[in-house]
Amino acid sequence: MTENIQNNQEPEVRSLPRIGSKAPAFEAVTTHGTLKLEDYKGSWLVLFSHPADFTPVCTTEFMAFQEIYPQLREMNTELLGLSIDSVHSHIAWVRNIEEKFGVKIEFPIIADLNKDVAQKYGMIMPEESSTEASRAVFIIDDKQVVRAIIYYPLSTGRNMDEILRVIKALQTTDRHNIATPANWKEGDKVIVPPSPTQEGAEERMKDKDLECVDFYFCKKQL
Amino acid sequence: MACIDDKGNLTATAKKILTAVKDQSLTAEEVASGTGLPLFKVRSSLRDMASMGFVIQEDDTYQLNEKAEKLLNRG
Repeated sequence: MTENIQNNQEPEVRSLPRIGSKAPAFEAVTTHGTLKLEDYKGSWLVLFSHPADFTPVCTTEFMAFQEIYPQLREMNTELLGLSIDSVHSHIAWVRNIEEKFGVKIEFPIIADLNKDVAQKYGMIMPEESSTEASRAVFIIDDKQVVRAIIYYPLSTGRNMDEILRVIKALQTTDRHNIATPANWKEGDKVIVPPSPTQEGAEERMKDKDLECVDFYFCKKQL
Repeated sequence: MACIDDKGNLTATAKKILTAVKDQSLTAEEVASGTGLPLFKVRSSLRDMASMGFVIQEDDTYQLNEKAEKLLNRG
């Protein structure tokens, strides 16, 4: 049995990091030199993969990521791209983007030729492509815990507003111990977590600072 | 090496960091806030420069290695 498995040489199946788990450590060659995940301790990080350099959807995404980079940095958040291309390909591509579109890409990009980081983060979807990373987004907090994971297929470019919105929502949750409702945007009312006791639930219904429909559904303005 | 260019001179980032730790021993966080460089970049550059002997690391702080001072005046 063991022999059969060895002979068939099934590819190693690695699971995705889970939300709430420590982000897998890595050391990688990037367009900004060798970087380790631990270099980002204390900052939030958007680690995202793209299928390939010099492709049109990825080019639009890179320009869009660059456009939100200043906003992200104001939110103590860094950007780190990744694809299974060489560092020279990355450098040629970002130079091309600057030359052809006038956009200077300022964030680093991992050259993951041996797929080490892509496999650790489950960025390759073999049914879609075994040689390219899918459009994965890992939002990692300042303590290096995975807080959100978003996946898009090769054909669909990502939505930057949603990435900004998720980070803002997570940071607001951390700061105020609240949750955020569907389509929440900064400035909207937030959800107060339900009280775990009957007494707390009854008191909450009397709280004038809250807008409660029922004990489990209370909102407030921050 | 990300801190040295193809002519053997320090990159602008490396120069900024070495200048910050020339006369004082600083943590990566202090260098980042003093220079305005992103913290991840300061950490990776300091690691590179410590491995090449440009800076001396003691616990969490870094200081310019006197022997590397002439590098700052080149290029």
